[in-house]
Amino acid sequence: MTRNLKEIHSYLPTLATQLAEGKVSRREFLRTSTLLGLSAASAYAMVGLPDQGIASKAYAATGGTVRMSMRVQPIESPHTYSWIQDSMMSRNVIEYLTLTGSDNVTRPWLCEKWEASDDLKVWTLHLRQDVKWSNGEPFVADHVIWNIKRCLDPAVGSSVLGLMKGYMMNDAGDALWDANAVEKVDDHTVRLNARAAQLAVPEHFFHYPFPMMHPSSEGKFPGIGSIGTGWAEIVEYELGKKCVVKKKPGYWHGDGALDSVEYIDHGDDPAAAVAALTSGQVDGIWQVEATQLAAVRKLSHVTLYEATTAQTAVARMQPIHDTWKDPRVRKAMRLAIDTPKVLQVAYLGLGEPAEHHHVAPVHPEYAKLPFMAQDIEGAKKLLADAGLPNGFETELFCNADQDWEPRAANAMAEMWKQIGVNVKVTVLPGAQYWEIWDKETAPFAFTTWTHRPLGVMVLGLAYRTGVPWNESKWSNAKFDELLSQAEGTLDVEKRREVVEEIEILMQEEGPIVQPLWRSVFAAMDKKVQGFQAHPTQYVFPWDWSLA
Amino acid sequence: MTTEATTGGVRARRRVLSGWLGRLDLLRESPIGMVGAGIVLFWCLTAIFAPLISPYDPNMNHFDAGVALPPSPGHWLGTDDQARDILSRIIWGSRIVLTIAPFATFCAYVVGCIIGLLAGYYRGWVDTFLMQVCNVILSFPVLVLYIIIMIKFGPSALNIIVAVTFIASPQVARLVRSQTLELREREYVAAAKMRGEPAWYIMLVEILPNARGPLIVDACLRTGYTAITIGTLGFLGVGLRPPDPDWGGMVRDTYGFLLGGQIHMALAPAIALSSLVVGFSLLADGVREISLRD
Amino acid sequence: MVSFFAKRFGALILTMLIVSFLVFITFEFSPGDVARNALGPFATEVQLEKYRQEFGLNRPFMARYLSWLGVAPNHKGEISGLLQGNFGYSTLWKTQVNTFVWDRILNTALLAGVAFAVIAPLSIILGVAAGMREGSLLDRVVSVLSAITTSIPEFAMGAFLVTIFVVGFRILPGTAPLETGGGGWSIASQLVLPVATLTAYYLGYLVRMVRASMVEVMTRPYIRTAVLKGLTFRGVVMKHAIRNALITPFTAILLQLNFLFTSVVVVETVFGFPGFGRMLVEAALYKDVLTVETATLFAVFVVVITQVIGDLSYMLLNPRIRFS
Repeated sequence: MTRNLKEIHSYLPTLATQLAEGKVSRREFLRTSTLLGLSAASAYAMVGLPDQGIASKAYAATGGTVRMSMRVQPIESPHTYSWIQDSMMSRNVIEYLTLTGSDNVTRPWLCEKWEASDDLKVWTLHLRQDVKWSNGEPFVADHVIWNIKRCLDPAVGSSVLGLMKGYMMNDAGDALWDANAVEKVDDHTVRLNARAAQLAVPEHFFHYPFPMMHPSSEGKFPGIGSIGTGWAEIVEYELGKKCVVKKKPGYWHGDGALDSVEYIDHGDDPAAAVAALTSGQVDGIWQVEATQLAAVRKLSHVTLYEATTAQTAVARMQPIHDTWKDPRVRKAMRLAIDTPKVLQVAYLGLGEPAEHHHVAPVHPEYAKLPFMAQDIEGAKKLLADAGLPNGFETELFCNADQDWEPRAANAMAEMWKQIGVNVKVTVLPGAQYWEIWDKETAPFAFTTWTHRPLGVMVLGLAYRTGVPWNESKWSNAKFDELLSQAEGTLDVEKRREVVEEIEILMQEEGPIVQPLWRSVFAAMDKKVQGFQAHPTQYVFPWDWSLA
Repeated sequence: MTTEATTGGVRARRRVLSGWLGRLDLLRESPIGMVGAGIVLFWCLTAIFAPLISPYDPNMNHFDAGVALPPSPGHWLGTDDQARDILSRIIWGSRIVLTIAPFATFCAYVVGCIIGLLAGYYRGWVDTFLMQVCNVILSFPVLVLYIIIMIKFGPSALNIIVAVTFIASPQVARLVRSQTLELREREYVAAAKMRGEPAWYIMLVEILPNARGPLIVDACLRTGYTAITIGTLGFLGVGLRPPDPDWGGMVRDTYGFLLGGQIHMALAPAIALSSLVVGFSLLADGVREISLRD
Repeated sequence: MVSFFAKRFGALILTMLIVSFLVFITFEFSPGDVARNALGPFATEVQLEKYRQEFGLNRPFMARYLSWLGVAPNHKGEISGLLQGNFGYSTLWKTQVNTFVWDRILNTALLAGVAFAVIAPLSIILGVAAGMREGSLLDRVVSVLSAITTSIPEFAMGAFLVTIFVVGFRILPGTAPLETGGGGWSIASQLVLPVATLTAYYLGYLVRMVRASMVEVMTRPYIRTAVLKGLTFRGVVMKHAIRNALITPFTAILLQLNFLFTSVVVVETVFGFPGFGRMLVEAALYKDVLTVETATLFAVFVVVITQVIGDLSYMLLNPRIRFS
C-alpha cells in the first residue's frame, strides 16, 4: 500500500502515517489525499468509511419528474456566470473536470485522475476516455485546452481568471505566463505548468463558471439544443417561468434515474417558493432562507437539509482612509462585537460565530485560537490609545439582497455604539451595492463571501496585496509572505501552523470585522432520494431517484 | 384696503373656524364616524405617548425571553424572530405611520390645492396646462413611480413623503379643481370680486373653505391608503429600512413564521395597520354622512 | 364626436411621449451602471466597456432615446425602434423585450379579467342592497365589513389566505406559476387565491362607492315621484335607481385603473404569478430601462384608453352632458 501511495504522490505515505497517529483528522486526510490524486473511494477505504460524497448508483426505482423552485434567468454565457444560481440548470448539460461533493471533498469527474508534482507546480489531468458529447464526438484534451484558454482570456471576462491568475498568467495578467502553460500531452492528458505552487487546482476546476463546453459553441449556451456531456438535455426553456431538462440515454456516469427535472420560477419572494413546496407544486427548494425555516420544518412530507459552510460576510475597513489607518482602531471594532449574539439576531443562531480572520472551522487548515470574545473595555482602551477616546462617526454600506445582512449590520452598529463609535448603516439594493463593494468610495462596507473549500483560497482572493478582489485595499507584506508559504505547504499540520500565524495577524491588524459563518439549508420532498445539501448549494439531479 | 373689507376678512375667518369646529361637533350624530374617530384617536394617543407606554425599547433583543415567543405575561404580544418585544414595536411603529402618512397627505393637499385652485379659478390655458401635467402623472402606473422615486432617492421617510406628494397631489388637484369650477360661480365669490378682493384671497378664503366637505372625506381616506402604501413599499423591499419598526415590514419579515404556524408575529402588525385604516375610512364615512345631511 | 376622438388621441400620443421621456431620463440619472448590472459584480472594466460598445451605451442620452423611439439610427446605423415595433433589448432578461412581454400581458389580463368578473356583480349586489335603505342593519353590516376588507393590505391578506387555505386546510395551491404538474393543481385552482386577494381589497372599495352613489340617488326627486306614483319599492330600485346609481362608480373605476395595477403587482409577487406587474417591478429594481419603458407605455396606453372609455360612457349614460 505504502509503495502504491508513493507512486501517486510522494507526500501520501506521510499523510497516511499522520492519519494512523491521529495527527490529522479523517476529514483532513480525505481532503488532502484526494487532492493529491488518491481516488475518493480508496481514501474513504483508508479512513474506514463508506464513500458517501457521491450517492451510490443503486436506485430504488427509475422514472419520474422532480420539480424545483428556481429563478429561470438568462444562462447564455456559462464562462461568465456571476451567480451560483446561473449554473444550476446548465450543469445538467455541461459538466466540470472535477466535482466537490457535499462532504467538501473534491473528486475527479470528467477527468479520471490527476497528479501533482512535489512542488505543486505541475498538474497532470488524465481525462476519462468514455465521455462523449451529445453530438457523438469523444471528449478530448483539445476541448479542455480550448475551455481553459477561453476562460483565461481577459477579453472573455470569466471569474476563473481571478482564481488562476496568480499561477497561470504573466505579471500583467493579460496572457499565459508561458506558451506551454497549458500543455497537451496526448488526446486524453492535459498538463498545467504553473509558475507558482498551487494547492487548489482541482477545486478551481469546479468553479461554477468553468464548465467544459464544446468549442463549436463559441462559449454560448442557448439552452435548448446545446451540446454537452451531461446526463440530460434542456428541452424547454421559458425565461422567468420554467425550464425542463430531460434524461438522455448513454450517460458516461450511468444513466440518471429520473426522466426529467423541472425548474419553476416563483420570483424573488422566498415565501412564494415555500408556499409552492407546501402545496406540492414543487418538490424542492435549493435555498431555504433562515426566515422560512419555521414554515419548512412544519411540513411533514419534506426533509430539511443543512450544510455547514464557510459562507460569511465581512465588514471590511480600508486602511487607506484616515479613519481606518490605525490597526488599533480596527482591532477595537472587532473587540466591540459579541459575535454569538450577532449570529442569533441576524441568522437565528444557525451557524458558527466567526473570529475575524476569515478561516472557517470547516477548512482543513483552520487553527483554533482562544475565542475572541467581546471586550468593550479593551476596545475603548485601544481607541483611547489611538487618540480617539470619544469614538467617532462613520458610515457602513450594506447589501439589501439577503435580509440577514442588514440585520447583522444593525446588530453590530448597536454594539459599536457601546465603544462610542456611531455607525450609520446605509443599506443599498444589491445592484447598487455590487457597484461599490470594492471601491475606495466605500471605506467601510459589509460584503458577503461564498464558501470555498480551502481557507487559503479565500485569503488569497481577498487579502493579498493588489489582487482584484482585495476589497479592503489592505496591504501587509508579512501577510503576503505567510500566505504564499501556506499555499505551498502540503502538510496540513505544517500549513495549519502558518495559518495560525495568519489568523493572529488578521485579528491584531487585519482589515475585517467578521461576525458569523452561516449554515445553508435546502428542502426536498421525502420521496426524492439521493439529495444532499451542498455547502455551495449545488444540486446534482443525476444522483436523484424517486422512492 | 377698506375697513369693510378687513372686517369681512375677519368674519370669513371666524366662519371658517366655527365651521370646522361645528363639523367635529356634528360627528357625534354619526355612530360610525364616532367609532372611526375613536380608533384614530387611540392610535394618535399611542403614538404621542409611545415613550411612556412602551414596555421596552423596540429594537432591544430579549434573548432571555426567547425568539418567536408566543404572547405571555412578560411580553403581551410575544417576541419576534429577533427576540424583540412585538408590543413595543407596534407602539413605536404607530409613531412612524402617524407621522409619515398624515404629513405626506398634508403635503399632497398643499400642492394639490394650489394647482386645483389655480386651474379651476383661472380656467383657460392655465387650466389646460396644469391638468395636462396632472394627467401625465396620473396615467403612470403608481407603483412604478414609487419604485423609481425610491430607487433614485433612496428609501427614507422623507422620500416616501416626497413620493406620496408627487403622486397624490394631481388627484387632489382634480378634486379641488372640480369643486372650484362649481364654487366660483356662487354669489359670495361674485361679491368678493365686487369688493375688489385679490384673487388669492378669493381662492383661499372664499372658495377653499366651502369646498372642505369632500376634501375632508378624501383626506381621511387618503391618509389611510397612504399607510397601506408605506406597508406595501416595505413589502416590495423599497420601503423603510430596518431596524425601525414599520408595520408593513413587520408583516413581511415574519411571513415565513406565519406559514410555519407562528401567527402572532405577523397578525399583530397586520391588525394594527388595518385598524388604523378602518378608523380613517369610518371617520370619512361619518363626515360624508353629516355633510349629506346639511 | 370626431374632434373629441382626435383630441383624446393627440393627448394620448403626447402623454406617452412625455412619459417615455421621463422614464428614460429618470433611469439615466439614477445610480447604478447598466453594464455593471448586466455583467455582475466581478466584471472587469474592459468587459464593461465592451458591453457598452455592443449596446451603444456610450452614446449621448438624446441619441439613445431617439433611436429607441425609432426616429434616429441606432449605434449600428439602423432605424429600428418603437415605431417599427421593436421595443429594444432587455438587460435583465438578455433578450428582446418583444419575446416575453406579450406573454406577461396576457397572463395579467387573465388574472384581472377573472377578478373583474367576480368583483363587478358582487359589488353591485352588495352596494345596491346596502344603499337602497340607508342606515338599515344590512347597510351597517355591509359598510363596516367592506371598510374592513379594504383596509387589509393585499400582502397581508395574501399571506393570511395562504396560511389558512394552503397550510391549514391544504385545499388550494400556494402559488400560481400557471404550470400544471406539481401536485396536480389545475390553472383554475391556482387562480383562486390571487383572485380572492384582489377581490377582498377591491370589493370593499367598490361596494362603498356603489352604496354611496345609491344612497344619493335614492334621495333624488324622481325616485320620490316614482314612489308616489305607486310603484313598488322593488320596482323603483330595479327600474330607476340602479341604472343611475351605477354611472359614477363605473366611470370612477375606469379612471382608477392605475391604482388597481399596484394591487396586481403585490398579488403577483406573493403568489409567484408570471405576470406583467412582477416583470415591471423586477425590471425597475434592476434598472432594465427598456423593459420598464415598454411596460410603462403599455400601462399608460391602457389607462388612457380606459379613461377615454370612462368619459365616453359617462356622457352616453348621463344624457345631461353633451360633447363639447
